[in-house]
Amino acid sequence: MKKGLIALIIFLGALVAFPLIFQDPFPRHTLIMIMLYAAMGIGWNIIGGYTGQVSFGNAAFFGVGAYATAIMLVNFGITPWLGMLVGCVFSVALAIIVGYPCFRLQGHYFAIATIAVGEIMLLVFTNWEYAGAAVGIYMPILPESFMNFEFHTSKLPYYYIILVIFVAAIGVCWFFERSRLGYYCRAIKEDPDGARSLGINIQRYKMIAFSISAIITSICGTFYAQYVLYIHPTSTMDLMMSIQLCIICLIGGLGKLYGPVIGAFVFIPLTELTRVYLGSEGQGVDLMIYSMLIIILAIWRPQGLWAIFTKGTAK
Amino acid sequence: MKKLFQGFCMFLLLFSFTSLAYAQDEIRIGVIFPLTGPAASTGQVLLEGVRLAADIVNTKNNLNMPLAKTIGLPNLKGAKIKIIPGDHQGKPEIGMAEAERLITQEKVVAIIGCYNSGITATASQAAERYGIPFVNDSSTSPSLTERGFKWFFRTTPNDDLLSENFFHFLNDMKKKKKINANPIALFNENTLFGTDSRKYQEKYAAKYGYPISGVVLYPAKSTQLTSEIQKLKSYNPRIVMQTSYIADAILSMKGYKELNFAPDAILANNAGFIDPEFTKSLGKDANFILSREVWAKDLALKKPMIKTIADMFQKRTGKSMDGSSSRAFTATIVLADAINRAKSTEPAKIRQALLETNMKADQLIMPWDGVKFDAKTGQNMQGKGIIVQVQNGEYYTVWPFNLATKDVVWPFPKWEKR
Repeated sequence: MKKGLIALIIFLGALVAFPLIFQDPFPRHTLIMIMLYAAMGIGWNIIGGYTGQVSFGNAAFFGVGAYATAIMLVNFGITPWLGMLVGCVFSVALAIIVGYPCFRLQGHYFAIATIAVGEIMLLVFTNWEYAGAAVGIYMPILPESFMNFEFHTSKLPYYYIILVIFVAAIGVCWFFERSRLGYYCRAIKEDPDGARSLGINIQRYKMIAFSISAIITSICGTFYAQYVLYIHPTSTMDLMMSIQLCIICLIGGLGKLYGPVIGAFVFIPLTELTRVYLGSEGQGVDLMIYSMLIIILAIWRPQGLWAIFTKGTAK
Repeated sequence: MKKLFQGFCMFLLLFSFTSLAYAQDEIRIGVIFPLTGPAASTGQVLLEGVRLAADIVNTKNNLNMPLAKTIGLPNLKGAKIKIIPGDHQGKPEIGMAEAERLITQEKVVAIIGCYNSGITATASQAAERYGIPFVNDSSTSPSLTERGFKWFFRTTPNDDLLSENFFHFLNDMKKKKKINANPIALFNENTLFGTDSRKYQEKYAAKYGYPISGVVLYPAKSTQLTSEIQKLKSYNPRIVMQTSYIADAILSMKGYKELNFAPDAILANNAGFIDPEFTKSLGKDANFILSREVWAKDLALKKPMIKTIADMFQKRTGKSMDGSSSRAFTATIVLADAINRAKSTEPAKIRQALLETNMKADQLIMPWDGVKFDAKTGQNMQGKGIIVQVQNGEYYTVWPFNLATKDVVWPFPKWEKR
């Protein structure tokens, strides 16, 4: 336990120091994407890993967060920080609307239902004139400031903002893991009928886990919108993104606190670096290497990379 | 835990290989296209278009085109152009990251890209931040040039201009051939492409005084369109303006034949209607469709230089030149010419030279009147589309009339009489 804490402190220290050593925007961008996906992976892990409800619709929360921020900023000039909050409220509302009927479904049917929800959201936003329809929304270029959540000259502020979001997500997950809620959720995953017989309100705790997952993902959506400053339905709500989150958790370790973190630290640099060093000639070699690694990992360590670090003691 | 730390160190090490120094006698131009992902084949063709243009600039060629007759850029001591490709994979955040990487690590002096409008949007934002000229070759979303960017230039006509062309065509038909057909009905697929097109079709129909009798939107992935076509038929249009991808374009043509629906003209928004698959799978049923286009091979009959370039392209790649590669080619020539006139690789001077660009129609392989950027928006104001018609399974330019290689067949013959 102590050793783990020391490693965590070294790891976080390295993350804080990283942009001070690497001044170029590209390494900083890569780290930003890693932390963004790690945070979203943690969000996915809470519902998909701990609670065992595989969701292919998490991109919808990402989109809701991004769109809530963008719409409020563009149409009403409201600071993205408030937009982030509103995005969370809408995401939780969506999680409850989706969860209420869908959590009655067992196993695979829930996964299928979430695919449908994700696609419905994508279609709604593609055709919704007020939200820019298929063209999407260009964020206005405002003066650099923390309130405006826009920084043009350096990526440093973005880097530290996502670092805070990332650490907060780890913190939330840490508490979740140790709380009564976390135990309930794991019980639901292992044996729903057993959990119910012990008096756990399955429906309710699934819903709470799904809402936490939605909030984390939605905050990441807001960050993405402010970071890229242009959003459109396919960049924020694509099914592919939900699948990526699932892959990140699978690579790292399902239902483990640092699983998605390790997953994102392997997955994102792999895509970024192979693309830069091998992909610019466009032969698709990068994607081949990348998929090969996933296959090897699936055969060699199906429990995820987490199992390597803990020397196979993890289940 | 030690391993975790070791892993992190390895990861840091990877990044330390990323910065290198470069020779001064080459002009580095960044090019961002979808080299992998769903649009990879188009991305490759676009990149080849850029590379062909760079080769023409870097070697001696007897063409009436800026920089063709000299080796390299004469005003920069014959410096040669070097193309640095970047792959955006169809993702906006990757487009942005690639632009930043090309600017800060590869030290490019200007960027060309990105084909997909959504990615041009984010990549050009990065260029704007760093103050590096961005020349957009083939994204047609009008909103891109409405952002008031200082460093953004677009050579291709946008959807707004291209949509208006249909009505110029109809007006020309009225004037020169005394054909006056209305009302119009719209038949569009229901995502970005179709809904956006509808906006411009309605705008210009109102402006030019053509009534619209009805609009039918359908999902592009439909497996049958019978009820939609019946609805379309009930609007009794004489002209149908259609926006479709390939599968639905073919499906709709089969449906028209089956339901014996033959308006005077079907004016299509390129995409599915100019896909090689379209004429291949429909055979003679594809005939007489009119489609907007940005480029056509038969333009060479009126402009011999087009044939020379198209042949060079064919020889290099084994593929025939098309609207994408010709536009990527043109953007590269325009940019190289500006750098040469700037006599410098300083971004501000290149930008100034781009603003002063004034290329004439005979120096281009495009059907445009020339290249001259609007100082405020960065849009080339002399761009123009063409209208092609399928006749005997081949596409021929039928409008503008001065570039036409075949006379337009109007009206669309009834199905039983063809």
